[in-house]
Amino acid sequence: MDHRERNWLFVLIAVFLVFNIVTLSPLIPWQRWMFWSSPAPEHTVRVEFGEYEIRLPAENIEARVGEYVEFVATSDDVTYGLGVFRKDGSMVFQEQVLPGRENRIVWKFDEAGLYDVRSTEYSGPRHSEMYIPDAIRVTQ
Amino acid sequence: MKELGWTEKWTLRFAVVALLFLALSGFEGMLMRTQLYDQDALHGMEALLNNVRPGVAEPGTEELFYSMLTAHPIVGVYGFIYMAVFGAFYFLVPYLLDKPVRHRKLVVTNFWLQIIGVMICWASGFFGLFNSLYTLYWPLPVSFDRTPVWGSVFFMVGAALIMVNILIFAFNIFKTVLSKSDSKSYSFFQFLRSAFGIPRLLKLFGKEDKNAPNLDYNGLPVFIVAVGRGSIDTVINAFVLLTAGAVILVYGLFALFGSPLNPAAIDPLLYKNWYWWGLDMVADGNALIYTAGVWYLLIPLLTGRQLFGANVVKTVIMVDLLVSMGVWSHHLLGDTSQPMWMRLLSGQFITWGEFFTMGLTIFASLMTVWLARPVKMTAALKFALGSMFGFMMGGVAGLVQANLGLNVVFHNTQWVVALHAHTFLLTGVGTMLFAVLYALVPMLTKLEFKSKGLINAHFWLWIVGSVIMAYAMGMAGAQGMLRRTLYEGGQFQGYTLVAIIGGLLVSLGFVAFLVNLVGTLGLRNVIGIIVPERWLPEQQPTPAQA
Repeated sequence: MDHRERNWLFVLIAVFLVFNIVTLSPLIPWQRWMFWSSPAPEHTVRVEFGEYEIRLPAENIEARVGEYVEFVATSDDVTYGLGVFRKDGSMVFQEQVLPGRENRIVWKFDEAGLYDVRSTEYSGPRHSEMYIPDAIRVTQ
Repeated sequence: MKELGWTEKWTLRFAVVALLFLALSGFEGMLMRTQLYDQDALHGMEALLNNVRPGVAEPGTEELFYSMLTAHPIVGVYGFIYMAVFGAFYFLVPYLLDKPVRHRKLVVTNFWLQIIGVMICWASGFFGLFNSLYTLYWPLPVSFDRTPVWGSVFFMVGAALIMVNILIFAFNIFKTVLSKSDSKSYSFFQFLRSAFGIPRLLKLFGKEDKNAPNLDYNGLPVFIVAVGRGSIDTVINAFVLLTAGAVILVYGLFALFGSPLNPAAIDPLLYKNWYWWGLDMVADGNALIYTAGVWYLLIPLLTGRQLFGANVVKTVIMVDLLVSMGVWSHHLLGDTSQPMWMRLLSGQFITWGEFFTMGLTIFASLMTVWLARPVKMTAALKFALGSMFGFMMGGVAGLVQANLGLNVVFHNTQWVVALHAHTFLLTGVGTMLFAVLYALVPMLTKLEFKSKGLINAHFWLWIVGSVIMAYAMGMAGAQGMLRRTLYEGGQFQGYTLVAIIGGLLVSLGFVAFLVNLVGTLGLRNVIGIIVPERWLPEQQPTPAQA
């Protein structure tokens, strides 16, 4: 191997190491509980999908800043996506909702406010209708 | 224009049809961007086109949008890219090996079957309103309350034809390389070993298999090894998609005969793993390695210098096969049911293997150009360098989303489809295919492209337009805009408008290319590539001939 190729290979290795170490580290806040630990959630929220509908629990979804909430999403028919969004449209988190499984994700909100829920996976022509504004209230 | 031989004519036919499919795919893309900007913008056109959809009740904007979204990648990938690759490889492989295509009839078969297959898929969307997207996530394509059963059945028939056709192409290419028409003949297993790079691996351990000649060192051009290596991914891709399509087809047929099967009989996660393992062979296997092969061929030809680091390049070809077989989980990073170790290993770490293989490939190509200075910046070289830029930009975006942590906020957003997929396909593969056309057309016709101004206009409009389009939508994705979602109320309109402007620039670049091509070859000759000579009007003799 030519020395210039070797040097370039070292550059590639350095980029690989830096990028992966940073993105696996707690510098990405949710890696703390999604990758490095499995904290017991303070409470669990069940969300059911089916017939182009997102069915939330009868009582409102409420959480406090800093507590761990587990979302368990299920589907009666096809694959959907559970996506939680801020009021400006930016995404907080999402997961795929496969039928026949309990799709679990734990989240810790860091900001009080109202959050929207939207299906993030295409499920048929009416997919875009699957949107619930102000579905989650997070308080201090 | 010089009299075209059989191979040259068919190569140009593939190219012309590929360009027509590119135009169709691009037109669909612009229509969908317009609908993303304003859902109601195309109501007039929709009403007009509904008149030619027999037996379908007035479909709404959503049904039409998602049907088009399903057909769009089939036309773009299997219509434009595969047709162009078929044409280019059917010329280059025999040309480099100095022997004819093994089965000429299969070349013609490939040409027609690909057109028929792609058009059936397109018609399944246009007329049959099949809307399950190319991802075909189980059980959506067999949920016939959401997707019309006839559309599903016809789409699967079209897709099956395409996949069988791809297998025929791979068979013909392998047979051509292995044919014993001269001293340059190789056994199947010798070629396969070379394609997998096993002799090189043995050599690393100080062993040499004397009964299995190391084809890398025995004159098989690197390009041919890359074609063979990429074709292994192509075959796996076609086989896997064929099996998935066959299952959906069986469900469709049973539903048509009144005995619907139970979709719950197939596990969606298992299906998703199988499907993406095969589908990803296109994106992360043959697309990358075919492209690398073309760079390995074009760059030395255009610069007049031997490829820098050819030995490393051959190892890269081998390693990339292992990489392409193990990366599919980056499509399942949003599936929390997928085991964590698979998401981390296959989804993130092995995907980074492509950073190394493509990083070394691009480095070898750029070093070749650098060491060959001063080089003549021909149209083909300019486009080859542009395609490398596209792969770098699209590749970086891909590595950002194929990340366990970052995928939480990037999965299924416009970032994925715009900044990664469209940059790869338009700025990367598309630009590379134009580099091939700019190199091949003068080789085949003995005519140089007439207008350098139009070449430059094509290059800059194409690159700048595709980057603007991808960047605008990528930023929208970073702000939470989902792919495959029609937003109401003008959300993300600003980003979409900028993307439309980018798309218009790309379209203008394409028109500049077509004008230059037709101006160079002459309209009669371009039409003559497609239709039999006897259909054309008599050519008027020039004054000199008279």
